[in-house]
Amino acid sequence: MSNIILFNLTTVLFGVASASYLGALYAKNGKIAVAGTWVCLIAAVVSTAALGVRWYESYQMGIGRIPVTNLYESLVFFAWAVNLFYLIVERKYRNRTFGAFVMPIAFFTMVFAVYNDSSIQPLVPALQSYWLHAHVITCFVGYAAFAVSAGVALMYLLKSKQEAAKINKGVVGLLPPCKMLDDLVYRAIIWGFPFLTVGIITGAAWANYAWGTYWSWDPKETWSLIVWLVYALFLHARVTRGWHGRRAAIISIVGFLATVMCYLGVNLVLSGLHSYGGS
Amino acid sequence: MADEKRTPSPMDRVWNFFTSVKLAIFTLIVLAVTSILGTIIEQNQPPEKYHQIYEDWAFALMDRINLFDMYHSVWFLLILVLFTVNLSCCTIDRFPKMLRVVRNPRTKLDENLAKTLSLSDRWKKKGTLSEWAGKYAEALSASFAKPKVTEEGGAVHLYAETGVASRFGVYVTHLSIIVIFIGAILGNVLGFKGFVNIPEGEAVAQIPVRGGTRTQDLGFTVRCNAFSLETYPSGQPKAYKSDLSIIDGGREVLRKTIVVNDPLQYQGIWFYQSSYGQAGGATAQVTVTRKDGTPMGAFALSANEPVPIDGYGIVRGVNYSENFQGNGPALQVTVEKPGKPAASFWLFQGGPDLDRQRNDSIVFSFGGLSSKMFTGLQVAKDPGVNIVWVGCALMVIGLIMAFFLSHQRVWVRLAQGTDGRVEVVLAGSASRNRLAFEKRFEKLQTGVKAVEK
Repeated sequence: MSNIILFNLTTVLFGVASASYLGALYAKNGKIAVAGTWVCLIAAVVSTAALGVRWYESYQMGIGRIPVTNLYESLVFFAWAVNLFYLIVERKYRNRTFGAFVMPIAFFTMVFAVYNDSSIQPLVPALQSYWLHAHVITCFVGYAAFAVSAGVALMYLLKSKQEAAKINKGVVGLLPPCKMLDDLVYRAIIWGFPFLTVGIITGAAWANYAWGTYWSWDPKETWSLIVWLVYALFLHARVTRGWHGRRAAIISIVGFLATVMCYLGVNLVLSGLHSYGGS
Repeated sequence: MADEKRTPSPMDRVWNFFTSVKLAIFTLIVLAVTSILGTIIEQNQPPEKYHQIYEDWAFALMDRINLFDMYHSVWFLLILVLFTVNLSCCTIDRFPKMLRVVRNPRTKLDENLAKTLSLSDRWKKKGTLSEWAGKYAEALSASFAKPKVTEEGGAVHLYAETGVASRFGVYVTHLSIIVIFIGAILGNVLGFKGFVNIPEGEAVAQIPVRGGTRTQDLGFTVRCNAFSLETYPSGQPKAYKSDLSIIDGGREVLRKTIVVNDPLQYQGIWFYQSSYGQAGGATAQVTVTRKDGTPMGAFALSANEPVPIDGYGIVRGVNYSENFQGNGPALQVTVEKPGKPAASFWLFQGGPDLDRQRNDSIVFSFGGLSSKMFTGLQVAKDPGVNIVWVGCALMVIGLIMAFFLSHQRVWVRLAQGTDGRVEVVLAGSASRNRLAFEKRFEKLQTGVKAVEK
């Protein structure tokens, strides 16, 4: 299947990009980071083509369905979205140090995907719904935004220690100022949060249409609510004395860990109605 | 007076407690953390299953605090109530203040205000006050918003704003949560959820609800005409289909074939395809004809169930073989005629006329085994669901208002200077996304300054 070859190439490109950004930080050489940007751009084209080819190939197999319906596809879609999100951030903030903290997330996601079943299988009856498209796409765009936010939050935690001590040296010295990092942590979340909200709502609408209940407290639903609560907490913490800054950054990282639990942990560790997402 | 300020009354303290963002932070953390429990402990399982996992004392304790149905427990509902009270109090506390500010904006740019605004510019122009006030009002209308003009103490103040809706975003979002809760409560009180299995050809008018503890009258009858299962070439299930009829007042008023993700609705009650299975044992289809060829009808023989044939005797299906003596599927029947010993013989599916060789007054032919299926339907009535969707829509609208709109304000003050020229002050502020506003302000600044007489 040619889509698999393209996805494998994407994995390699994400790896090269991550290495470039990390190397640029380590060697304090901006030129290596520029190469990283180009690799990310190529990876964006290749991964978009891969998704398109996979979609096309599903039609050739007589199945014909959007490539966001199982674990493998959701992982590659997530990595695709993280990469795009990162490129937008890099362009807007004109800073390449973010790459060292964000692109490894995309790379390891692809590596994890490679170890999962990548065959195109027909949809079981429960998944044959147009709600599927809206639900999965909005959720994963949200997740990608949270991944970017958590990567930057980690940078904030590293940087804030140095800024507090009024020193500016080493690898951390290259990172943008705390004010900018804090702003970006927040900005990524105000994109992710509405997408997650729409993802949960479309999931509820779909569940109501398929099972007659929009909310049944199954582990997947509950974890999506937990993720939502953590980011709601972030939004309130940021405007509360004693809770912004480091604590808000930690909440962003906790939020992303909860997202990973909701996305992978529930399928791999717990059981519930969403079991088809795990194979 | 000073003492009163230092020690607020107990009522004030309670109010301050319920309107604090700290309480919101606390409730959000408690909700998030306790919610995890119910995802680790499987909910609503039979007690035997819990006994296998937990020690007796642990089971007793967990059962006591409702951990096996925690999302419907009193303590979890209390946290939700606290959350809602906090949300409502915050709204009651802050909304009127915000409304007052929005309704009566500071339209005059005095020196105090000018000092607090980071974006400002000053310049002087030759000409009259009213002339420049008119020009600048026009310029603001064209590139920002129509300004409100106030004259006071020999100065003219222009005030223009956009994106006021941004201030309402947070209230719309908070209100949406309450709307969703109202919808959920209505659905729980006025609606019902149940599950019913209907064998093909049969009908039901009542369904068990609340885990079978109560029965709900539908007010009409739903019949399953047929159930079918489609598979992909690989054998994976492709579609579960139930052909359903609604019978109301003795006649069929609605008929629809439902599949998963395409339910049937009648009088606010929804029927969802949920499961299926085999209803009872298989039956053998047997056609009966007279020796002269006159058809006498068909029977469905259940295993060992006697079926009488008028003027002939009693027939039983006693055995079935997938491949009897290498001749394919066959059914063994026994016939008891009055006053005669029972006769037993085989009927072959592949040879419908072979029974003539028995040279009896009646000829049997075996049409094959058929197994009757049942369809499993989820049945739900939820009068609150549309309110929930309204709440969801409000939430998305509220979030977009709160996150992506910005209340941007621009002031211009014109005053007659001591040197005869008009002194102009331009200032602006934005409630959020200040970077984007800075760019917009710079553009406005150059635009306004370039205005000629």
